[in-house]
Amino acid sequence: MTAVAEAKIKKRVLPSPVTGQEMVLVGVIAVLWAALAVSTPAFLTAGSIQPLLVATAPVALIGVGMTIVIITGGIDVSVGGAIMVCSVLTAKALVEAEVGLAVAVLLSVAAGALLGLVNGVLIAYGRVHAIIITFGTANLFMFLGLRIFGSGTVNGIPGTLAFFGRGPDGRTLGVPHAFLITVLITAAAWWWLRHTAGGRHFFAIGGDAQAARLAGVRVQRRVLLAYVLTGLLVGLASCFVIAQGTSTLDQSVGAGKELAVIAAVVIGGTSIMGGRGSVLGTLLGALLVQSVASGVTQLGWRSQLSDLFVGIFIIVAVGADLLRARARRNR
Amino acid sequence: MRPRFTAAVVLTTTAAIALSGCTKKNDTDTAASSGSGDKTYKVAFVPKLQGVPYFEAMNAGGKEAAAALGNVEWLYQGPTQADAAAQADIVRSYIQQKVDTLIVAPNDPDSMAPLLQQAKDAGIHVATADTDAPTSVREVFVNQATAQGIGEGLTDALLKEMGGKGKYAIVSCGQTAENLNAWIKVQQEYTKTKYPEAEIVDVVYAGEDQAKATQMATDLMNAHPDLTGLVGECTSSAPGVAQAVKDAGKIGKVFTVGLGTPQAMKPYLQDKSSSAAILWDVENLGYLTAWAGAQIAQGKPFAATNNVSSELSAVAYTEADKMLLLGPALAITDENVDKFNY
Repeated sequence: MTAVAEAKIKKRVLPSPVTGQEMVLVGVIAVLWAALAVSTPAFLTAGSIQPLLVATAPVALIGVGMTIVIITGGIDVSVGGAIMVCSVLTAKALVEAEVGLAVAVLLSVAAGALLGLVNGVLIAYGRVHAIIITFGTANLFMFLGLRIFGSGTVNGIPGTLAFFGRGPDGRTLGVPHAFLITVLITAAAWWWLRHTAGGRHFFAIGGDAQAARLAGVRVQRRVLLAYVLTGLLVGLASCFVIAQGTSTLDQSVGAGKELAVIAAVVIGGTSIMGGRGSVLGTLLGALLVQSVASGVTQLGWRSQLSDLFVGIFIIVAVGADLLRARARRNR
Repeated sequence: MRPRFTAAVVLTTTAAIALSGCTKKNDTDTAASSGSGDKTYKVAFVPKLQGVPYFEAMNAGGKEAAAALGNVEWLYQGPTQADAAAQADIVRSYIQQKVDTLIVAPNDPDSMAPLLQQAKDAGIHVATADTDAPTSVREVFVNQATAQGIGEGLTDALLKEMGGKGKYAIVSCGQTAENLNAWIKVQQEYTKTKYPEAEIVDVVYAGEDQAKATQMATDLMNAHPDLTGLVGECTSSAPGVAQAVKDAGKIGKVFTVGLGTPQAMKPYLQDKSSSAAILWDVENLGYLTAWAGAQIAQGKPFAATNNVSSELSAVAYTEADKMLLLGPALAITDENVDKFNY
């Protein structure tokens, strides 16, 4: 086969590098930012955009893992509980053992990976739907987290993780580290999912697990990997969460984050039915949600309006996905 | 089962008579002592959520009171998140257990009211502490401080730093929290009358989420470049607004006060990103709650001024709104923060 023919086939097989949903999201975010810039002059200043990007990072980062999980046709509703376990463990290590930045990150990531492994093993080999398993583990993780909290808060957390924080230590040349790391990981995941066989197996599993198995994809291993990856990213995101929080960590940490992450994934255009999706869209979805929340506050509107907007975005995004699916079937 | 049932009937009747206020004191006393001479009263307290330093300190105070009073068994259980439905389940389980007194700090006063009615129908004495359910059948509300006292305390502490003028904003938590909203109302009115040159530019709601409170405070500072003050209305947003000021490098330009627990506020009080935390002695509040629970379980009426313990020697009770008042609000600064271990 000639190189030209090979390239032609590749072109036919690969979807376009940027999906329609992502183009729409870029447009919506651009319009929103422009509108906010006009109505509140401070919106487009560094002092406003930098914290916004920092606040986007944890949700977007976990969203990378969640996107892969949802592409395989699964879901992980235990990430909120997992954030609680990772962050309380890490915060305690920071306070009581006075560990350094690298150790803290390693500890958090290892804890997250372990929790992800529990989910992955149960889902891949237990043959029970992911929502049931992760709903169960969500409660287990919460129990574990509360036990580690031990009826108190973790006080006096030192500034060890300020590298990921909102303050001046959290930026290089004006770019917040937490957001930069998130963008890099998103880019790597995008390339991996699109251009390697291993990455594309996730789509095959989500499209038709049986067909994927017959085609030689090791379905269970791939599924296991998706949950472990999500766990790893939860671990890293928990470090971001601690860095962005105050010097006290209380048990509300992580609460409701699973829904925020799933919202970002769905708004980003990933099909909740599996088989299709993109991590780039998830990053944009998370950015849009945080921009709306900041915008509502800066405009002086009622806080609950941001919930309303996020709800509308989700419904519109899912509606668009269903329409696209219908169009494909009729083709 | 039978003796307990008899005791419950006696207790309920006694309480009903005492409350309707148409008996002579002697009758109540004899009835109470004959019906339950050395009975231990089960006093159950359901906080808004369990495991936060605030309610754990109340629990510590309640335990202390139970030990001091001798005839009280203090029960304490709350939901792990400030959720009205989860709290209702715990209240129902205490009704099932037929405790003597059930005291609640309701997450949602309106949805708690019918449950308290249920408890009363089951012969249980009901009360509220920390947060009131004003429309309910509760026999007493153990109030930490009046809305007036807290609202004015917060406003005075902040405006002292702001020089009596300027723009400030409030980061509150639950949008339906009765007590927070009552304090905010006082802050708005008091600011208008006492500090005519000051203005509250916005009130936002962050839930119990610290990170969200911090982000909202950051957004508020961006939206109002001339903002010089922020109030954190609850224990999660008080450190949150201080952290936002610290991260933005605006210590000394934007002042914050808040309703924070001492240990959580300590680093911020020390680096001056927070000027003061307004609170009350939470352990004493727990002590008073347990004492009041025992009091109504025994059908004893409250006096206008009650001698509860050596630290609480003159607790005022107002008959009109059936409220016990702990005392004036307390300002915690970097000077006295070490006195509190919660």
